[in-house]
Amino acid sequence: MSVLCPRKFWVGLLLGSAAFFSSVAPVLAAEPVLQTEQSDVVTLKPYSPHTVLVEDAVYTHNKDGRVNVVDADKGVLLGMVQAAYNPNVVLAPDASRFYVGETTWERGNRGARNDLLAEYDALTLKLMVDEKLPSRALVTPKRNNLAISADGARVYVYQMSPANAVEVVDTKDHKVTHTVEVPGCALAYAWGNAGFSSLCGDGSLSNVSLEADGKASVTHTAPFFEPDKDGIFEQSPSVAKDGSTYFISYSGKVYPTILSANSTVQPAWSLQVGAGLKPASDASAPFEVTWRPGGWQMSALHKATHELYVLMHRGTFWTHKDAGTEVWVYNTETHQRIRRMPLKVASTMVGITQDEAPLMFTTDEEGNFFISDARTGKLLRTMKVLGTSLIFTVAPGEG
Amino acid sequence: MLPSEHTKKTEQGASLFDRLTETALRRFAGRTSRRGVVARLGGLAAAVPLFPLLPVSRASAATPAASAGKGVAKAATPFGAKAQAKDPNACDYWRYCAIDGNLCTSCGGGVHSCPPGTAPSPTSWIGSCYNPQDGNSYMIAYRDCCGQDSCNEVTCLGTDGDQPSYRPMANNDIIWCFGTGTSEMYNCSTAAVIGKAS
Repeated sequence: MSVLCPRKFWVGLLLGSAAFFSSVAPVLAAEPVLQTEQSDVVTLKPYSPHTVLVEDAVYTHNKDGRVNVVDADKGVLLGMVQAAYNPNVVLAPDASRFYVGETTWERGNRGARNDLLAEYDALTLKLMVDEKLPSRALVTPKRNNLAISADGARVYVYQMSPANAVEVVDTKDHKVTHTVEVPGCALAYAWGNAGFSSLCGDGSLSNVSLEADGKASVTHTAPFFEPDKDGIFEQSPSVAKDGSTYFISYSGKVYPTILSANSTVQPAWSLQVGAGLKPASDASAPFEVTWRPGGWQMSALHKATHELYVLMHRGTFWTHKDAGTEVWVYNTETHQRIRRMPLKVASTMVGITQDEAPLMFTTDEEGNFFISDARTGKLLRTMKVLGTSLIFTVAPGEG
Repeated sequence: MLPSEHTKKTEQGASLFDRLTETALRRFAGRTSRRGVVARLGGLAAAVPLFPLLPVSRASAATPAASAGKGVAKAATPFGAKAQAKDPNACDYWRYCAIDGNLCTSCGGGVHSCPPGTAPSPTSWIGSCYNPQDGNSYMIAYRDCCGQDSCNEVTCLGTDGDQPSYRPMANNDIIWCFGTGTSEMYNCSTAAVIGKAS
């Protein structure tokens, strides 16, 4: 560049530029002229069976949890909402709304505590109602700390403060209509439109029928398992519509149960026997190494085909939180294993969609989200580092 | 938390805990004479110098080989069979058989001490862990340290005897920060010996 003759330089530059643009002008002419744009916000399409909610508890900084909305056909993130401090989420039966149970403190890690049930429009992800709750249990989130009735009219919030209770929220009036004490029991497995059951420390079930005017009646089943010897996984899958539930024990016993005001528990069958193995030992012989169920969200149910998906690993008793290296699929009517699908990466979570071509979801310690064909176990796509601590999925039509 | 907020918080959030504590203390007071308390305190004062003689203190002097030669009890659980008694910053340290979370030893605290800036939970979950050094099993109280977010230096998951939350005293998923005077935000977990397991 000629510093001493700036005028000559600029003339040269202009002429050169004109020559350049005249030579490329025909190419540029084919491009449309960009229009001015308005900033706007995306609205999601109605959920397909493969639009799923993925809860990320973000264990390393719990107050920053979130619920992701994922298109599992494409493996893309459609949106997310904040879900603070050991949060939980349930989806309305028509997938039009979802509810996030969460806890915040007004000044971050201090100040007044707020336990909240946030209602989101599932398509706009706009906060519709931000309801304050009396309390909620602060516990590493399990699906059944929060539940929704079959018709979506009630949300059940498990509370431990430290006494055990379940708050019933009317989703139309946005009010807590009942706070039902469930002493010695925990969690809420919804059945029908106006009832839930809780698992109890004596190995029984507490069944709560909701009545008008804030009343509730409670019944108990006889104890059917021994928590000391062979506890039942809190993440056992259940269906609100008909109350069908498969309570799975640490050792691998499956107790088919119909939840109701008078829940009925059928005799247990064994995951191991259904796979041609001998039954696994319980806590009385903890060193026996065999295939056992385990993980966090360690089971899922495909309702239409009566298929029970269970994460399995080889280990001793007391390895009930170990990641599953394989997914074993059982027919809940024959009690036989019908598929065995090794995972490329061990997972603490398994989720299933409810359609005829179901997808299966697993994760790993890095927060990758693996999407597989549930009928073959073939990995279809991976969403790399979708989150930090992916702990369960919620798909339309589960309840 | 400001003192004014503390008062408000205590009234709202921890009222049940306060009531339970008050009820327990009143029952205790109702059943106990003043002389009895003095006698017990005196007994405690006399017993304190004897604490160093308990097995827990001698553990550091013993060696696994020496213990093995004396035919001590075997570990009753898979974790205990592989546990070590030297490094409290490692997940296989014997006391951590039922711990779930961040080790306070790696967060500025100790095996039974909370890091500065946090407060210990008055309640805890309980485990029974095998000490390979002396061949005894001990009851361990796992107390959470609360008020700051997760520390994350060394995170462990011990599941010996871990039961679901419908057995809360044996469940390691619950945030045990009830009634700490701080927020119930979880920072790390400690593992204090509270007695010998039978």
